[in-house]
Amino acid sequence: MAEDPDRRKFLKVATCALGAGAGIALVVPALRLVAAPVGATTVTGPSAPLDLGPVDRLRLGAEPKKVEVIAPMVKDAWTAARDVVLGAAYLVKSGDKIEALSAVCPHLGCAVGWDPAAKNFLCPCHDSRFAADGSRQTGPVERGMDPLPVEIKDGRLQLTWVRYRMGGSSREPI
Amino acid sequence: MDKLLAAFRERAAWRDAPRQLSAGASFAYVFGVVLMFLLVVEGVTGVALATVYSPSTTDAWASVAYIQDQMPGGWLVRGLHHHGGSAIIIIAGLHLVQTAVAGAYKKPRELVWWLGLLLLVLVLAWAVTGYWLRWDQAAFYAAQVELGIAEGSPVIGGLIKSAAIGGNDYGNLTLTRAYAVHIVLLPAIVVVVTYFHVVIARRLGPTPLRKAMPPTPYWPVQSVRNAIAIAVVFAALFVYVITQHGVDLASPADPTAAYDARPLWPFRWLFELRTLAGSAEQLVAMAAPAVFGGFLVALPFIDRGSERSPAKRKSVLAVFALLFAMIFALTIASYATDNNDPDLDGRERKELARSARARELAMTNGVPVTGALDVFKTPPMWKARAIYAQRCKGCHDADSTDRKGPVIAPGHGDRAWLTQFMKTPSGDAFYGHTKLAATDAAMKPVELPPGDFADLVELMYAQSGATDADAAKVERGGKVFESACTDCHTLSEGEASAAGPNLFGLNGRDYYTSFIGNPKSPIHMGKDKSQMPAFAREMTIVERDAVAEYLVWLRTATAETLSALGPL
Repeated sequence: MAEDPDRRKFLKVATCALGAGAGIALVVPALRLVAAPVGATTVTGPSAPLDLGPVDRLRLGAEPKKVEVIAPMVKDAWTAARDVVLGAAYLVKSGDKIEALSAVCPHLGCAVGWDPAAKNFLCPCHDSRFAADGSRQTGPVERGMDPLPVEIKDGRLQLTWVRYRMGGSSREPI
Repeated sequence: MDKLLAAFRERAAWRDAPRQLSAGASFAYVFGVVLMFLLVVEGVTGVALATVYSPSTTDAWASVAYIQDQMPGGWLVRGLHHHGGSAIIIIAGLHLVQTAVAGAYKKPRELVWWLGLLLLVLVLAWAVTGYWLRWDQAAFYAAQVELGIAEGSPVIGGLIKSAAIGGNDYGNLTLTRAYAVHIVLLPAIVVVVTYFHVVIARRLGPTPLRKAMPPTPYWPVQSVRNAIAIAVVFAALFVYVITQHGVDLASPADPTAAYDARPLWPFRWLFELRTLAGSAEQLVAMAAPAVFGGFLVALPFIDRGSERSPAKRKSVLAVFALLFAMIFALTIASYATDNNDPDLDGRERKELARSARARELAMTNGVPVTGALDVFKTPPMWKARAIYAQRCKGCHDADSTDRKGPVIAPGHGDRAWLTQFMKTPSGDAFYGHTKLAATDAAMKPVELPPGDFADLVELMYAQSGATDADAAKVERGGKVFESACTDCHTLSEGEASAAGPNLFGLNGRDYYTSFIGNPKSPIHMGKDKSQMPAFAREMTIVERDAVAEYLVWLRTATAETLSALGPL
């Protein structure tokens, strides 16, 4: 009995359709899972400013003082942890005012350190240097160190932790 | 044996004739086999490592340190895996050069060439994701920089970074994703691509470069050459791994500490090129690999025709050689810059000491579940010492420039300390730096016959809870106290004394906890006689108790036992 060419064609199309259907049913749920964290807030930092203690106990001098920025509670996907070190900040005294600079290099995100010999900040990854007030001096970085909002409440220094987008000359909080 | 094999072949429907090489056997054909052997090395060592490794930002470093320092031959397996990966990149590079020189990318072998290039890219991605997994300072900042560069790319930069780290910040989802890519996704893709690369290359046969030779059976004439090459490469890898004791592991990832991050060696040329490019670095970071990769991909179109003799393809090979020479020179220059930087050398020395300390502590004390950085907090009384350094040191350390109270040092509260104190209460090491010393309320030196003095010292010493106090002396001391000290002091628990502090439990743990909480209490110094702040609100009772425990420990400590606790 000879096969009908139309029937053959139908069988080919049906096979491909069934295969594609099974493939989509498999891949879509898997991709949804993998893509879920993309662009999502998986790690939630502190919502309130962080307390750095009484201002007079900070002993701020002529040189910037490094403080660890510690969040009392961080939720990270499925875990919650107390006292998580988010990063570091440098406290700089200019006149009566206290300013805070994020130690995250605005170039590509390495940690910036104070160079006591040169009296300026150095990011050792790509040799960017910043003056003691955080302004850009040399290197590939396009802007100065990112400022962090600080305020004094009842004699205690409160710092708000902000992350900025890497690179570029303008600051864009993320 | 032959009969058995024949029976097996029949049942496995294995009817291929034994493989023949039309142009004879050669060491030029060993590269693919050596690369496949190295893939097996990566697979075997990788599975072994995966049985221990824990892909979480809190545990990753600890599990790698455990493999490296505590498991039998862990360093060897880890070293073979790391440097085996480097060997793949080197030999794949040589294979690429060999193929280019032989013109083996020409029709009909374009597919094999492109699949080979794809494999090289996959292997580099393998190296990048594998490097992150150790989550030490080197890996953490390498990831920061790599993803910072990705973030800087137009339009989809932020999305790339978010997809790589699994959300808005480094965390639980960062290493699970990198791990899945490194141990499941990339191996699966590499196996499939390798299969097609090899099968198609085999179907096409070796590139006929030389004069035709009588066909040679692959087994054992080519096989023995393969085996020799594998043995040489593996021996070299093994010896190198042993000389390196595996591979380095920096201190745990620390978002607060500056680190001289450098990319893995296959990317050092790009690192150097970025430096040279200055403000055009972002453009260069994207354009240089695109130009280089584009040239290699387009090679079968650029160099057309059937001419394979290198002598007649000089211009193409010259461009090829120039690109490779550039990469080589940039790599050398990058390492040379670092080698000639004395500041970098100093920072590296510090980091080496820090990683050695972290690994030693991980071995002796274990790594807390709160995260690898907390390994630095595992030495005895670390927390108390940290609080002491932050809250107490400024006023109480012998070398503090603005000391305001008595010196606290090893031996604090022991018999010698009590003797000195009672002889010169306003001495430099005692109340000499306080406002109290200059007032009438300051304690007067104790003047007693030597025997009574010693008995009184023993009584005070016993207050701390020291178990080696002489009971007879203490009893006699009690009588001395009644006659000489009670005008100002008392030993009745909880009772406010007339002028000076209540000495019940002096220099004991409860005494310190209470004193630190409120020195101005009527049972301690009293309202106007102490400049020391009350720490009851600043420190929890657990923290005060921890400091108290440390101060009690100091009584029997020496400068040596103190420094043996290690740095903070």
